Amino acid sequence: MEATREIYWNIGHGVVIPMYILAFAAFGVLAWGFWKRMPVWRQGKALDRFDRYDERVKRLIAEVFSQEKIFRIKDGGIFHSLFFWGFLILFAGTMLVMVQADFLTPLMHVNLLSGEFYKAFSLVLDLAGLVSLGMLSGLVVRRFVIRPKGLEIVRDDYIVLLLLFVILATGFFLEGARMAATELRQNPQLALFSPIGLLAAKLMASMSMDTLLITHKALWWFHFILVLAFFCAIPFTKLRHILTTSTNAFLAPLEPKGSIATINLEDESVEQFGAAAITDLTWKDLFDTDACTSCKRCQDRCPAYATDKPLSPMKVIKQIGELAEGNPSGNLIETVSQDALWSCTTCRACQDVCPANIEHVNKILEMRRNLTLMEGAFPGDEVRTAVSNIEVNGNPFGLAYAARGEWADCLDVTTMESGEEVDILYFVGCYASFDKRNQQVAKHFITICKAAGIKIGILGKEEKCCGEPLRKLGNEYLYQMMAQENIELIKGYGVKRIVTTCPHCFNTLSRDYKDLGLDIPVEHYSTFLSRLIADERLRLKPESFNFTYHDSCYLGRYMDIIDQPRSILKAAGGHITEMDKSGYDSFCCSAGGGRILAEEKLGSKISEARVAMAQETGAALLVSNCPFCLTMFEDGIKTGGAEGHLQVRDLAEIVAERIVV
Amino acid sequence: MKLLVCIKQVPDLESRFKPNAEGVWYNETDLAWRMNEYDEYAVEQAVQLREKQGDGAELTVLSIGPDRVVEAIKKALAMGADKAAHIQDPAAAAKDPWQIASIIAAYAKDKGFDVIFTGMQSQDRGSAQVGVTVAEQLGYTCTTTIVGFEYDNGNITAKRELEGGIKGVVKLKTPALVTCQLGLNVPRYPTLPNIMKAKKKEITTIPVSDLLKEDAMATTASFHPPAKKGGGIVLEGDVGTLVDQLIAILKDKTAVLR
Amino acid sequence: MKALLIGEFREGKLLDSTYELLGFSNQLGTEASMLLVGSETHLPAYAGTLYLADAAMCGEYNPDLHKKLILDTVQKENPDYIVFLHSSYGWDLAPRVAAALKIAQVSEVTGIVPGGFEVGCCNAKMRRTVKPDSAKAVLTIQAGAFPVEQPGGTPQLQKITAEGKGTLEFIGFEPAEKKDVDLGKAEIIVSAGRGIGKKDNVPVIAALAKALGGELGASRPVVDAGWVEHSHQVGTTGQTVSPKLYVACGISGAIQHLAGMKKSDFIVAINKDKDAPIGEVADVLVVADVMQFVPALTAKVAR
Repeated sequence: MEATREIYWNIGHGVVIPMYILAFAAFGVLAWGFWKRMPVWRQGKALDRFDRYDERVKRLIAEVFSQEKIFRIKDGGIFHSLFFWGFLILFAGTMLVMVQADFLTPLMHVNLLSGEFYKAFSLVLDLAGLVSLGMLSGLVVRRFVIRPKGLEIVRDDYIVLLLLFVILATGFFLEGARMAATELRQNPQLALFSPIGLLAAKLMASMSMDTLLITHKALWWFHFILVLAFFCAIPFTKLRHILTTSTNAFLAPLEPKGSIATINLEDESVEQFGAAAITDLTWKDLFDTDACTSCKRCQDRCPAYATDKPLSPMKVIKQIGELAEGNPSGNLIETVSQDALWSCTTCRACQDVCPANIEHVNKILEMRRNLTLMEGAFPGDEVRTAVSNIEVNGNPFGLAYAARGEWADCLDVTTMESGEEVDILYFVGCYASFDKRNQQVAKHFITICKAAGIKIGILGKEEKCCGEPLRKLGNEYLYQMMAQENIELIKGYGVKRIVTTCPHCFNTLSRDYKDLGLDIPVEHYSTFLSRLIADERLRLKPESFNFTYHDSCYLGRYMDIIDQPRSILKAAGGHITEMDKSGYDSFCCSAGGGRILAEEKLGSKISEARVAMAQETGAALLVSNCPFCLTMFEDGIKTGGAEGHLQVRDLAEIVAERIVV
Repeated sequence: MKLLVCIKQVPDLESRFKPNAEGVWYNETDLAWRMNEYDEYAVEQAVQLREKQGDGAELTVLSIGPDRVVEAIKKALAMGADKAAHIQDPAAAAKDPWQIASIIAAYAKDKGFDVIFTGMQSQDRGSAQVGVTVAEQLGYTCTTTIVGFEYDNGNITAKRELEGGIKGVVKLKTPALVTCQLGLNVPRYPTLPNIMKAKKKEITTIPVSDLLKEDAMATTASFHPPAKKGGGIVLEGDVGTLVDQLIAILKDKTAVLR
Repeated sequence: MKALLIGEFREGKLLDSTYELLGFSNQLGTEASMLLVGSETHLPAYAGTLYLADAAMCGEYNPDLHKKLILDTVQKENPDYIVFLHSSYGWDLAPRVAAALKIAQVSEVTGIVPGGFEVGCCNAKMRRTVKPDSAKAVLTIQAGAFPVEQPGGTPQLQKITAEGKGTLEFIGFEPAEKKDVDLGKAEIIVSAGRGIGKKDNVPVIAALAKALGGELGASRPVVDAGWVEHSHQVGTTGQTVSPKLYVACGISGAIQHLAGMKKSDFIVAINKDKDAPIGEVADVLVVADVMQFVPALTAKVAR
């Protein structure tokens, strides 16, 4: 017998037409299932996620086939990726058989599935099947035996796992039956290229030929029906993620990370702001709920969830999905709950790790917009006071705006008002302007720039809060007011380049302000200093020190600035001991999402949790790059009992101490 | 039902105050402005009453001053006032409480307001006179410093805040004027739809000369910072001595020790 | 020059603050007569003329009637100044009298200066000198600004009364609520900061607050650590306060705390760090160990 097999052996070619009819019927059910689902998504508002088609398709293909987002998290991730590839190979193989049997053979009289190719084909498919079966078993053990905390088991899990298991098992036994009846006797050499099938065949070798033939036929039809059942089940079970989750890779936003829709406040016809019901969200928001497989990776990463606050990003997505499906007119905000909504720090860890490209953060922001703009609600009175302070004096402390530039009084810093030419505008921000601890950072930054020969200008008392905490709390109106005032000033002075020491101001001025008309380069001082060092305008004399480093959310996850601060600190003589959760996995300090203005009343303190993580590295020094982080860690060190054991300092302070003039 | 609430725009009290050129009031440069805090309670209470009365009720907000007071007026409109009267006066700060009251009374005289709300005092001048004086000039009944307000068909039941946290309960009939104190209510934060609606509400501008017929009764001779408290004194030394020194300073500089 | 002093009476008793009017009159150098809507059983210890109306008849709070009584008395006495306390009674009544007489009113006087009266403004950050333009004037004096003068003796009574009921109906009093601490209205606050060391030391600070007749405040870290309840927190995420006296014990002066108490009239900081930021807003910085200084101060004050 040559290296090939007779397709439809024992089944007969008469099966072809009914097989195709049934297959089309199954696909029909699949299509109908999704078709039925569309009205649920369509309840949402319009959104264009079909532009720049090429980029989207490329990303879809790359993400789905590489599975890189899946195996980023080892627990469960490796298993799923390998299972996916195994199953994909099996599927491709089956398709090849179909193409061979129904097109190549009858129409072109060509047999691909023969000879060396067939041997390789058999081996690869068998191994793929083995890996799939193995990985599937691993996933079953993980879900039902190990039971990771927070992983819910639902009805779908039983159905899907059982179905897949039986499909794989019957596949092997089906192969084994065929091999027992054919290859085992006629071409045992060939049989070696299907090792698992060979094993199955050996198990069945004692069966009579008649039994084998009947068993084979039965298994073939059983396997076929199960596969059809698989296709039919896709739209109605968790299996839908095969299509929804992959489609989400296509539908994912192409805008820079952290982009938020800018409300057109000039449009007088708009009477409703933010999201209070399902219909206020976009169709993509609702589609997201179907792309979610409840893998809980977002929940595992959420700093609020980790400190016992009522927020779970996964739960929010599920709640939206439940309302969209079962109670579209239900009150979205009451379902998710204000406590959960206000607990979010917009750290983006959820979205960053989500393998399904679900957009958690902006849904929360839309609901906050509704609370703030339509109800005048705040997470607490202290937040309302801070917001009013920003409105009156341009800073959350309620301090006289006229004093904003006074921190720089003895430092010979140009105020833009004077009309002098400057190299860069240093946008100082509220904390560095008014808070004693953070004023030190601003002063050190001035020292560094002077040493590098950079002429700095500041807006001084004309500078107002960039508006970021307002925007993240949902107060788009007040945010735009502050932003317009700042933009007018900046443009009026013909500023060419802005540098800031605050990642929140950095994100807001470089990205959010674009929608409002500001389009000049904005940098965070970490990349700015990095360049100065690379250009040798700034030279550091390394002085050895041990430290651990905290990647702030708005610099790391939002802006991908992970390496530059580290190389600066290395050049300064630092020896880093990384925290477990560093880089893109960094754990928030708690002050994002406007929460710098709020008191942390629920659960335990996020800042203390992070300080504990820093202490675990054994380092006595924690270095940060953000005024919010610095403030939170100074607090967290005191209240968490780390005073005397851990010190927190800003990047600028370390650098300023090591300048070679 | 017709309601009036009188508001004043004052500088944010965090500002540093410097005497103006004449030395009789504060210099206006580098000041941040906001609605007088007590007037916020007045506006909120007036809006609550107006909402309860429904259609047929109308709330007017009035403010005296230069163009910048329109900001404060807009806030009151965004909180729920129906229309506004801006008594345009670039020199409002130079007028004494008697004159201010007479301007408001002249405006309100023929309009038949059932209830007039004001704050109990302004945060800058703080004389606590204007509200009561307006009531006297209009012949309205009046009570001050209210922290509770109920209205029923022409009858007002008000709670006055007295020293020591005790409250005095008073009944009065409209037409009436009440001055509002901290604790009366929590002023609402204007929602965006209301801010947008406020942009369309009518603001009538009336030059102050149309309404002012009175001369001032008192003059501010000087506006100045308090006598230097000796700058921040730093006391160091033996605890016993420090205690005596501190007590002596407290007795001298404050009224808290007798 | 003559002054008609309007005394205060509540819940059947003469209020001691009435004697501050006499202190003021002495400083002003005026010949004082007094008017009181009160009771013969609670007469002020002063030997001058007292125009007395019966509170049982005219009501303790009845501004229309009280105004009439004052106007009638003004006719008889013809004083140059009619002086009230700047209290919930005084600021309610004084403008009515001034309006009826069409004379100037100067409110919450804190001092007498050549050419006029000194009053506070802009949250007591600044001062004004005000000069009445009318021959006579109504004055209200700030509580505690003038000394208490109890000359002793029995007043020469002149009983007065007024007809009618007035347009206001006084229903009654409601006692003060004994719930959360309202630091916003406290006149004296003594606050505990992390410098006190530990939770067990809080009572030491509370004792000083009590001895001074004030309230206990706290900085945020102390509240966060559970040493003091949140209702005592002073600062941007707690309460903003403006007492006459603020004593900050072991508080370094982080901006969020300063922003909450900067408006205090007089600030005393006790801190072993001479350079603590709170020193910049404090009128007096006592460089000492809080746990040594405060008990000693409490002991002296309580005497």
